[in-house]
Amino acid sequence: METPESQLETLRRLRERALQGGGQERIAQQHARGKLTARERLGLLLDPGSFQEIGALATSITEDEGQRIPGDGTVTGFGKINGRRVAVFAQDFTVMGGSFSAVQANKICRMQDLAIESGIPIIGLNDSGGARIQEGVRSLAAYGEVFVRNVLASGVVPQISAILGPCAGGAVYSPALTDFVIMSESTGYMFLTGPDVIKAVSGRDISTQELGGAAVHCARSGVAHLSAPDDQAVIELIKRLLSYLPQNNNEDPPQIMPYDRADRQEPALNALVPADERQGYDIHTLIDLVFDYDSFLEIQPLFAQNAVVGFARLDGYAVGVVANQPAMMAGALDIDASDKIARFVRICDAFNIPVITFVDTPGFLPGIEQEYGGVIRHGAKIIYAYSEATVPKISVVLRKAIGGAYVAMSSKQLRCDLNFAWPSAQIAVMGAEGAVRILQRDELRAAADPGKLMEQFVAEYRRKFFNPYHAADLGQIDEVIEPAETRPRLIRALEILRTKVQQNPPRKHGLYPS
Amino acid sequence: MENPGFGLMMTALGMGLVFGVLALLWGMLTLLTRFDRPEASSVNESVPADESASTATEQLTAEELAAIAVAVSFHATMLRREAAPAVRSYWPGSLLFASRWVAAGRARQNQSWQRRR
Repeated sequence: METPESQLETLRRLRERALQGGGQERIAQQHARGKLTARERLGLLLDPGSFQEIGALATSITEDEGQRIPGDGTVTGFGKINGRRVAVFAQDFTVMGGSFSAVQANKICRMQDLAIESGIPIIGLNDSGGARIQEGVRSLAAYGEVFVRNVLASGVVPQISAILGPCAGGAVYSPALTDFVIMSESTGYMFLTGPDVIKAVSGRDISTQELGGAAVHCARSGVAHLSAPDDQAVIELIKRLLSYLPQNNNEDPPQIMPYDRADRQEPALNALVPADERQGYDIHTLIDLVFDYDSFLEIQPLFAQNAVVGFARLDGYAVGVVANQPAMMAGALDIDASDKIARFVRICDAFNIPVITFVDTPGFLPGIEQEYGGVIRHGAKIIYAYSEATVPKISVVLRKAIGGAYVAMSSKQLRCDLNFAWPSAQIAVMGAEGAVRILQRDELRAAADPGKLMEQFVAEYRRKFFNPYHAADLGQIDEVIEPAETRPRLIRALEILRTKVQQNPPRKHGLYPS
Repeated sequence: MENPGFGLMMTALGMGLVFGVLALLWGMLTLLTRFDRPEASSVNESVPADESASTATEQLTAEELAAIAVAVSFHATMLRREAAPAVRSYWPGSLLFASRWVAAGRARQNQSWQRRR
């Protein structure tokens, strides 16, 4: 019969074994690859002494005693990040390459269930070689268990995925279903089929980083939202990102004590928009001047750079920022920019973050590739997202707001609460030259000097429509403001709208254009 | 007004009693204040402590002081960027949860999406 001392001794031995993961040799290999172990990562992510591990002693379903390692390749539990409760899981590459097993899935699913029920964010640190082949279909079914919980948690609690090592095959869908994916530039990669399969199918040689590294997913595919050089930097980004998000869809993001004057006016903004309408300018200048100093965290900074989205603070309150980027493609909306804006607006709406939109776009990008690629349905996503959103919405038309893009970018009809415009705003159905060619076709055809007459008509069209006052007459613009006073205006508007609540009609779910 | 002498005597007695008690209280408070003063020795001890602190600061090089200033500034920036408890206005998020308008509104917003148990 075991004495209490020996029982305790057994428990302590098992716990010690779990802490060692795959053993010292594997840990050294992990460090040699420039990666931290799962426990080291959690140590950096969570407040000191706050981690409470769950499932540390769960072992693999295998007859091979040597492979039955406590924890089975994942460390799961609860902890605190800057005093806020979170559920976490970290895949341990030192244990069988972090391969995904049924036991690992059980542990992750338990965290997901508890996170949803407790209303706390869930953060996953991914570093896994893929499904555990020895477990066969059990491993595949395990993926499904995780995916369904990702979907159930979507829009209820924030879900953040960090890709700190391999993430291949079916495993990629769990991060893809979460709200934010942050990749390590040095060690993280994601793909459905690896370089070997690509080589076999197409004969093309490609490295893992070229196929699914951070550069690919942050700049081209749009799968990842942020990247950082190494594990530590990724973890810092997670903490920063979390500071803009609430614990769940019923709460608000943390408000910090205001550190930037609410009544600060910026005369530099009066000269931001160039007189020549064909000239671009960097929208980041405006964002830096309007929002609290050093508060802007851009999301997907390398993807669809003709649109800028991100989180910032206004007088200490978290807000979502959506803007066209006139310095890139004149701020025209294309397929990728539409997807980027629409998804970001939906994230803000899900988590009670007001959306502030700065409009300067000549419209949707014309082109055969865009039309064939489905710019119509992608553009519709922006309209859907803004229309569906019930959070406070404020827009500021800076310069061009032309055609369908004007409507899509948080116009009054899409339930925008307050529409401001700068005096430089140009709100019209289409560009001056195009409009004149249609409207004055007969006169131009009959004219002795069509060029001169065209100039006259264009000037008249501009005088009539290329200003914000016509839109203000019709109630499409609530107020034309001086650019310098944008910050105090937005702060005061948000102060009023902070308690806004709006309800959509009851339904199972909307049919989002995809 | 039949016996003004008795009236005067009672007035003098009453006022004397009140002022006597006030004088007694004043005396007690003065005594307490005297006991409550810090001892002369402890005051003297604090002076060298301050001096030693300033001496320690003076011993740092300009580079070390600059490094400390940068570290402190960086720490403050990190606290702000991560909305650490030290810079947060309210716990855990904002005070909006206290608004019945917002609480009821959000409950309605989410109702149509909730699964039935």
